[in-house]
Amino acid sequence: MRQLRLILGFLGAMALWGTAALPAPPAPAAVAPLRVCADPNYMPYSDRSGDGFENRIAQVVAAGLGRPVVYVWKSIRGEDGFTEMVHQYIDRGRCDLVVDVPYSEADLQTTRPYYISSYVFVYKKGAGFGAITSLDSPQLAHVKIGYEADTPVEIGLKLRTLTIGAKPFLTADEEDASPAAIIDAVQAGTISVGLTWDPAVGYYVGQHPDLTAVVIPNARSQGSPEQYTFPMAMGTRSGNDAFVTQLNRVLGQEQSKIDAILNAYHITYFKPNGNG
Amino acid sequence: MKIRLIAAAVVPVLAIGLLAGYLLHGSAATAQQTVSLNDMSQNANQWVMPAGDFANLRHSNLTQIGADNVKDMHVAWMMSTGATRGHEGQPLVIGDTLYFESAYPNHVYAVALDDYHIKWEYTPTQDSFATSVACCDLVNRGVGYGDGMIIADALDGTVYALDAATGKVDWRYKEADPELGQTLTSAPLVIPEKNRVIVGVSGGEYGVRGYVTALDLHSGHEAWRAYSEGPDTDVLIGSDFHGPRNQGTATWHGDQWKVGGGTTWGWYSYDPKLDLFYYGTGNPGTWNPSQRPGENKWSMTIFARHPGNGQAVWAFQMTPHDEWDYDGINEMILADIKVHDANVPALVHFDRDGFAFELNRETGKLLLANKFDPSVNWAYDYNVAAGKPNQNPAYATRQGYDTKGICPASIGSKDQQPAAFDPATGYFIVPTNHWCEDYQPFAVKYKAGFPFVGAIVKMYRGPGNYGGALIAWDPNAGKIVWSDHEHFPCWSGVVTTNGIAFYGTMDGWFKAVDTKTGNLLFKQKMPSGMIGAPIVYSYGGKEYVAMLAGVGGWAGIGLAAGLTNPTAGLGAVGAAADLGKYTTLGGDLVVFTID
Repeated sequence: MRQLRLILGFLGAMALWGTAALPAPPAPAAVAPLRVCADPNYMPYSDRSGDGFENRIAQVVAAGLGRPVVYVWKSIRGEDGFTEMVHQYIDRGRCDLVVDVPYSEADLQTTRPYYISSYVFVYKKGAGFGAITSLDSPQLAHVKIGYEADTPVEIGLKLRTLTIGAKPFLTADEEDASPAAIIDAVQAGTISVGLTWDPAVGYYVGQHPDLTAVVIPNARSQGSPEQYTFPMAMGTRSGNDAFVTQLNRVLGQEQSKIDAILNAYHITYFKPNGNG
Repeated sequence: MKIRLIAAAVVPVLAIGLLAGYLLHGSAATAQQTVSLNDMSQNANQWVMPAGDFANLRHSNLTQIGADNVKDMHVAWMMSTGATRGHEGQPLVIGDTLYFESAYPNHVYAVALDDYHIKWEYTPTQDSFATSVACCDLVNRGVGYGDGMIIADALDGTVYALDAATGKVDWRYKEADPELGQTLTSAPLVIPEKNRVIVGVSGGEYGVRGYVTALDLHSGHEAWRAYSEGPDTDVLIGSDFHGPRNQGTATWHGDQWKVGGGTTWGWYSYDPKLDLFYYGTGNPGTWNPSQRPGENKWSMTIFARHPGNGQAVWAFQMTPHDEWDYDGINEMILADIKVHDANVPALVHFDRDGFAFELNRETGKLLLANKFDPSVNWAYDYNVAAGKPNQNPAYATRQGYDTKGICPASIGSKDQQPAAFDPATGYFIVPTNHWCEDYQPFAVKYKAGFPFVGAIVKMYRGPGNYGGALIAWDPNAGKIVWSDHEHFPCWSGVVTTNGIAFYGTMDGWFKAVDTKTGNLLFKQKMPSGMIGAPIVYSYGGKEYVAMLAGVGGWAGIGLAAGLTNPTAGLGAVGAAADLGKYTTLGGDLVVFTID
């Protein structure tokens, strides 16, 4: 099965490469492909047809490195799915790169952050939820909440006893689930306010002009630090300084193309301008 | 017991040039005319630094207001700050002008003391993104002054030098980057004598590597930067340093020091004679201790450095391998006192971990480390000879395990709220917290599209069911002399003058107590709760006490939430209402006097 996936992945990548911008000459045979670990079925992040924003960013970075992309497809969902992928694929040298991970993620060596995004509240515009600007907003106690399970927002809600009666979504756990489910629930009115990671849903929010996504600010009002904003970076095997230096250079050069991709996927992001 | 303070010499303000040669001892000659801030601080009419003097004594030698007449004190004038987040700072008084900075959006004001008109106001243009990064409310701890410039830090990480006469920007410098999780909330240390502005960085929650940066006071150019972790070349540990080498990497697993925390957002002090400045570093990153084995130096550390070149002379780590978020950033107070009946040039530091540390500030030798709240239980005691805590394993924290009843809570037995020294009694008057907690660390992870880092902390009042206390500390014996309990954490700074101490409470009472007994002599309900620090100044022959009101800060935002009733689970509703019964958000400068 894994073998099949790899073969399919390779074919898929080749197909993608074939449809890439024509002026780009075929890479010389001596150039090693950039092997990107990616989820085959997790839009809007990544899918086998290359439609996810991570796939688009991978293309830009590979072009900047002068290397063709080869996808190594591996689902990252389910219990320890991402960690398992890192151990089985990155650590064992089956792939070189993960496109979209939190900066300073412990199991990887990360590049400098190339965008910063945040957990968000998603609700209908003009429906009277405008006063909800943080997890401490009193109105949250009186609305029907949906949230992505096992994330910082779940902890934040628990700290405020707001999970009782709220609806968890298990996007990260189930391979067939879509981050769109929480947006559909807001749209259908089964929940009033959805709490989730903006890059997971920006694409879908963008398709519903009557919805808005509002950044959830970091907090410490309950004692412990609560972080809802994360700088995101690329990840590779530890001890790969030369490669990370190359990636950092390309990320710097291609930032405007990456921004354009994030914009196209309606991701709310902040620009790192730092020295990461 | 004869107490000699390093800043106690009474020097006429005009004798500015007199001490300058002695203070500068030959180095850091600057092209521009430099007025010694140390000399200026000897004039008790003024309040020229955040703590009043380089030693961080927060003491005024003025004598019009005292124990016998403070009961007649009344409001002289007031002014709205135009901001309603936590005001953790204090004004400065330079000549005929009072300067202060509000909480975010960081308005800076110059107010004429003769008729209270606003000479100028400056509000920096800031990226509001910084507000979502700031960990503990959008606080500010005040401005600094040097050579005709007001130095102001803005939340978004920018340091501004403003012409004290006009408010025009002389220079600006980007110290911290919110997009990397950094913000700027502390007051700068300005040492005109050395042509230096020293600024720290906030944001230890979010994977930054802490540092202090020294700027050239006149140009705003970076002079040096010293990191809290990493190779000695980054930490600026060189030939001047008394202590072990390479600890900034050797006490970490792999390259975890790169996100090692150790931010530097507290109150700095400076000894002109030794030419050393002192500050503390914050908690190590990440928050989950299981993920960062080792002592994690130099987090949780007192550093002594030369302001000229940043080189460290000594360093003392108070809480090795922190498991509780006991940032070591609290103020470093420099006083020449007796410790165990021996005269010593001391540095006294009341740490978040609940121990009062008394060191020889020249050598860094630890002399005494005693609990200043008897409920502290994470360590049995402190081994002074070894310089290490005797930790109680029952209160260690570990991943996936809910450790109950840790005292103090993460907010510490005392946070940044600065203590004051009282020369009349020889006591330190210390505002303290009295909360305990249950703590459950979580793994940092990336779960299929969803970044995650966090821990659950549940805080509640400590034994005796009070939230904080103002205490008097006898540094010679290392003991509490008296303790005035407060309902909420005692989160304002203190100033001492003429045998009395002023402080404010989170529930909105401005109080004066007798430093000898702790007896309450005066109280006034204020527009909002207080987390700033009072100052004392004199203008036109009349003495004034000034205080910023504006509750907020870590303990004050959403505040005491869940903390009044330990059995009420994590619910915020009832407890937040508790503070709401006493006060509300605000931002006001309130100034008192007597007739």
